[in-house]
Amino acid sequence: MTATNLPASDADVTTTIPDAKAGRRRSATRLPRTFYLMVLPALVLFIVFHTVPVIQGVYYSFTDSPGYGPSNLVGFRNYIALFTDPRVLHAYWFTFLIAGVATILVNIVSLAIAVGLNAKIKFKTTLRGVYFIPNVLAILVVGYIFNYLFSNSLPALGSKLGIDFLSTSLLTKASTAWIAIVILAVWQSAAFNIIIYIAGLQTVPQDIYEAAAIDGASPWRRFRDITFPMIAGFFTINMVLSLKGFLQIFDHIVALTGGGPGTDTESVALLIYKGGFQGGEYGYQSANAVVFFIVIVVFSIVQLRFLQRREMSI
Amino acid sequence: MLVASLLAGCSGGDGRTVITFFQFKPEAQQYFQDLARQFERANPGIRVVVDNPADPETALRTRLVKNDVPDVMTLNANGTFGEFASAKIFRDFSSDPVLDHVNPAYLKVIGALGSGGKGEVNGVPFAANASGLLYNEDLFAKYHVAVPRTFDELIAAAEKFKKAGITPFYGMLADAWTAQSPLAPLSSQLQPGDFFQQRFADRTTFAQGWRSTASELAQLYRYTQPDPLSKGYEDGTAAFAKGQSAMLLLGSYAVPQIRASKPKFTIGSMALPATNDPARTTLVSGVDVVITAARHGAHQREVSRFIDFLMQPKVMTAYCKAQVAIPTLQGLRNDDPALKGVQGYINAGKIVGFTDHQFIAAIPLAPLLQTFLLSGNESRFLSDLDSDWDKVAQRRTWGLGAVTS
Repeated sequence: MTATNLPASDADVTTTIPDAKAGRRRSATRLPRTFYLMVLPALVLFIVFHTVPVIQGVYYSFTDSPGYGPSNLVGFRNYIALFTDPRVLHAYWFTFLIAGVATILVNIVSLAIAVGLNAKIKFKTTLRGVYFIPNVLAILVVGYIFNYLFSNSLPALGSKLGIDFLSTSLLTKASTAWIAIVILAVWQSAAFNIIIYIAGLQTVPQDIYEAAAIDGASPWRRFRDITFPMIAGFFTINMVLSLKGFLQIFDHIVALTGGGPGTDTESVALLIYKGGFQGGEYGYQSANAVVFFIVIVVFSIVQLRFLQRREMSI
Repeated sequence: MLVASLLAGCSGGDGRTVITFFQFKPEAQQYFQDLARQFERANPGIRVVVDNPADPETALRTRLVKNDVPDVMTLNANGTFGEFASAKIFRDFSSDPVLDHVNPAYLKVIGALGSGGKGEVNGVPFAANASGLLYNEDLFAKYHVAVPRTFDELIAAAEKFKKAGITPFYGMLADAWTAQSPLAPLSSQLQPGDFFQQRFADRTTFAQGWRSTASELAQLYRYTQPDPLSKGYEDGTAAFAKGQSAMLLLGSYAVPQIRASKPKFTIGSMALPATNDPARTTLVSGVDVVITAARHGAHQREVSRFIDFLMQPKVMTAYCKAQVAIPTLQGLRNDDPALKGVQGYINAGKIVGFTDHQFIAAIPLAPLLQTFLLSGNESRFLSDLDSDWDKVAQRRTWGLGAVTS
């Protein structure tokens, strides 16, 4: 292009654009304003009750505040102290353990049950209702029932059957207490995942199965090569949601062990609550909360990216 | 009369001044509720709203976060009380005539926990407790066991009960704090006199000053029922009331809870001997209930009237009788049989405060004790205690105990 051509083309552009702009603006003035008005209340609520507290929390993480009274800025001291505190490091390790095991188990269990509940079986609707009940119950309430089962019923059964492993309460040993927590977590959260998987299974067109059946594919083959790839999107959502949920595990532990024996079953969320509110280290545990927030975001993004690559559609 | 009080209830909120009364003691909820109603009848211009939260210390902390300090509070005078007092949350009572007849020993106990400034007294001691150990007098008589006066005699007594098939001490480790109860008398008798001053100044360690405490505590817990971790405070007091255990490593504060299960024997009490020299045995006694008020409350006059009302000898005597507590006003005493064994120490002034109140809440003392008593690993416990103490001291700029070097 030569230099003389440029002004001309520039002029062209300037003459055409205002027209387009004006036309867009005319319609733009009406519709988006309505949209903005619809979004605004939610945005205000979100900022007031979510963003502002988050920013406050981040501010507190740089102070030595006990949560009340005067406080001083201490820079990154809280963050540095976090990484040398064995109680905090143990809480992270424990949370990852619980979250990892429970996420995998809950997805296996709920997918299996969902496939069963999607088949042509008797009392299908009733059973779907029954399997959803755990999701409606409060974790704390169920937790105290499980606590009773683990510390009284199960040991009684264990000693009657002569199983040494079960004759003392699972909750009293650090090496077994986490199993009890995982059992409660899986039992409670499978209900919701089952619903999502059932919804997913109903999106798979029946004719593919018919075609596969004509080709002589075994049920396992049909599941592996048709069902699972077709509901991969639902699998992703369930994996991400359950991992995120289990990373924030709190009520289960409060109801079952309270973090004990010692501090062996403290999750990060429980430690933040205990240290921040009961221990009077609001600033220090705010720093912990900020770190944990970043960890959860990173986990979720990585997991989403990784799993979405495996999804497919027809 | 009833109609009048109902009418007064209806008109409440318009004319009357409302003061909030934060009451921490779950065992005394109804008692303080009734006292508040009595006070309202005598002072028609004031309405007292009683708040009995579960987990009171956390509840108070969350209220402090919102800058919502209750007008009047009853609290346990422990490390958390000292922390709040140091943070200038509570009123200074040092020039208030309400303290005139309070036993000065108890003012010293709460002063040692922390205060809002030099010479300040940030609470009014209302009731004290005695923390030694409780025993079943019938079982002691039946097996001809004399009240032990030394640590060796205590272990011998425990051995005797164990041989007879009776649990010597009921373990309640599901409530981890119960292990702090024997810890306080053992450590206060076995540690060097200025141990905590030295510890705050970082001139000594728990590994040096608390080794014998840890080993004696572990010895006591060898005489619990199997699986002590699965049972808690309520199980323990109920089992003791049923005569299933000869002794209970708890203080006088547990007596009302035990009596709720209607024991058929007399509950005896003694100071927990930690050494083999009976003359060195001291009684751990702390202020179980301290009354305090918001430093900058809106209704100071009404609050003072309410505190004066609670501190009447008549009210205190009745409360102490009901809760098996020791009155803090000079000249009052409690003749409950469950306090007979420790009365001599109180009269002689052989009283020390709770050593565990020197730990701020950020140090997980109870969980560490729980782990220790299950594993029995003494060195690990002491080094964990030291490292937790140092870590908290390092990341905290203030509020670490009342003692300054």
